[in-house]
Amino acid sequence: MGSNSLRYEIAQNAYIKLVLHSLKHPTSAVNGILIGRISPSNDVVEIADAVPLFHSHIPLLPQLEISLILIEEYFSAKGFNIVGYFHANERSDDSELGGVAKNIGDHICRYFPQAAVLLLDNKKLDSLKKSKERSAIMQLYVRDTSKNWKLVQSDANNRLSLKEPTTNVVLLDYIASEKWNDIVDFDDHLDDISKDWLNPGLFN
Amino acid sequence: MVTKSEETQLNSLENQVDNGGGGAWEYLCLIRKLKVRRSDKVLKHGLSILNDPKQRSTLGNEEWTLYEQVAVAAMDCQCLDVAKDCIKVLRKRFPESKRVGRLEAMLLEAKGSWELAEKAYTSLLEDNPLDQIIHKRRVAMAKAQGNISVAIEWLNKYLETFMADHDAWRELAEIYVSLQMYKQAAFCYEELILSQPTVPLYHLAYADVLYTLGGLENLQTAKKYYASTIDLTGGKNTRALFGICLCTSALTQLTKGKNKEDKEGSQLQSLAAKVLEKDYKQRAPDKLPQLTTALNSLTLSS
Repeated sequence: MGSNSLRYEIAQNAYIKLVLHSLKHPTSAVNGILIGRISPSNDVVEIADAVPLFHSHIPLLPQLEISLILIEEYFSAKGFNIVGYFHANERSDDSELGGVAKNIGDHICRYFPQAAVLLLDNKKLDSLKKSKERSAIMQLYVRDTSKNWKLVQSDANNRLSLKEPTTNVVLLDYIASEKWNDIVDFDDHLDDISKDWLNPGLFN
Repeated sequence: MVTKSEETQLNSLENQVDNGGGGAWEYLCLIRKLKVRRSDKVLKHGLSILNDPKQRSTLGNEEWTLYEQVAVAAMDCQCLDVAKDCIKVLRKRFPESKRVGRLEAMLLEAKGSWELAEKAYTSLLEDNPLDQIIHKRRVAMAKAQGNISVAIEWLNKYLETFMADHDAWRELAEIYVSLQMYKQAAFCYEELILSQPTVPLYHLAYADVLYTLGGLENLQTAKKYYASTIDLTGGKNTRALFGICLCTSALTQLTKGKNKEDKEGSQLQSLAAKVLEKDYKQRAPDKLPQLTTALNSLTLSS
């Protein structure tokens, strides 16, 4: 069972956190870590949660290293792994997976060889209200056998799926109420450690 | 770039205005003074003043400044009709003004009419080749279109003339970092540290870039600049404290087996670790266990 048939299923809370984070910082690139585990049947990576990381100086190592150490420490105690990486580009018309995202993705693969990289699809986000899109507004990238990041085309066999079918409806609701103001990322935490990157109570 | 106290002041004023407590004009003036980018608030509160003839008349000549401020904020929020209206009012009042001409060119830029905007900026520059704002708008346009190498080229040229423009050096550094051109970014931060040696953020950014570059010399220098950041911030900068721990750990990995006794280095690391633990215990106690384990793993490797 090669990782080219592995599916990725993202839970509502994880998905919404990542999109809200991108909306909170519309003028910069943002990134995040995907947390989850592989299903008992070994064919699905269940992305159960996400930690929004940074909205500035993304390509700098110190903050990335510290955040990964602390995140890994917290979640492994709960039986979860770091299973992937999320990235949203700075410019709305940039739909390419850039060098920085690929490098960080490679780094994450050291934690979890079948790690996925999710890239925010800005066009789909833009038209979400009208399109009534039910699938994830993110592009899925996985590494091929030569360790290059390849876009997985979304087709009938959607390898990236939303766990809860009404996720986008809930997302639109949160967008309307400007919920992104409440999102805390690791950047915010490092500036003020009393801010919790776990975002507990965000969805209460 | 604002200080923490300035930001606190701005946020409390913003809160006040948002909740109907008045002070919109003071808020807008403070935004202008601190050069912060909060366009959605500026648009909202600026418009409420401009649309109220009574409030507008109390502004006197400052009315035109407000129109300009709201026009720019509107463009940032893609409310181009509002921007157009404001610019029209200004054009009527100042028919020959180059400053209004600049706004009109910015509107073209906001619309995405790159070529027309470029033409407008170029012609404005012919009459005033030292207009810093227009030079920077051209760099911004190149960046917006994804022509990062052009943006870098123009920004470098700009800095040859306006080498005291710290914001421009910071922008250039950030562009280099985004392209993973760390050596060039380091150079920019060196310029900034030379001209403003007491600004801790430059020391911190420089250290971060050097750590990312890696290698014995860079790590040793990074450690020095994390230390100077700690010095300049009274030990309160979390990132610098973490930086010390990361550097010491990385340096030990590199010098393993070589009989270098760096007692001072490990002292610094344990001091930084102690400060971090104390701070987390006080302000983020539920995160303390992970911190302790993380710091232990970093010191174990030293």
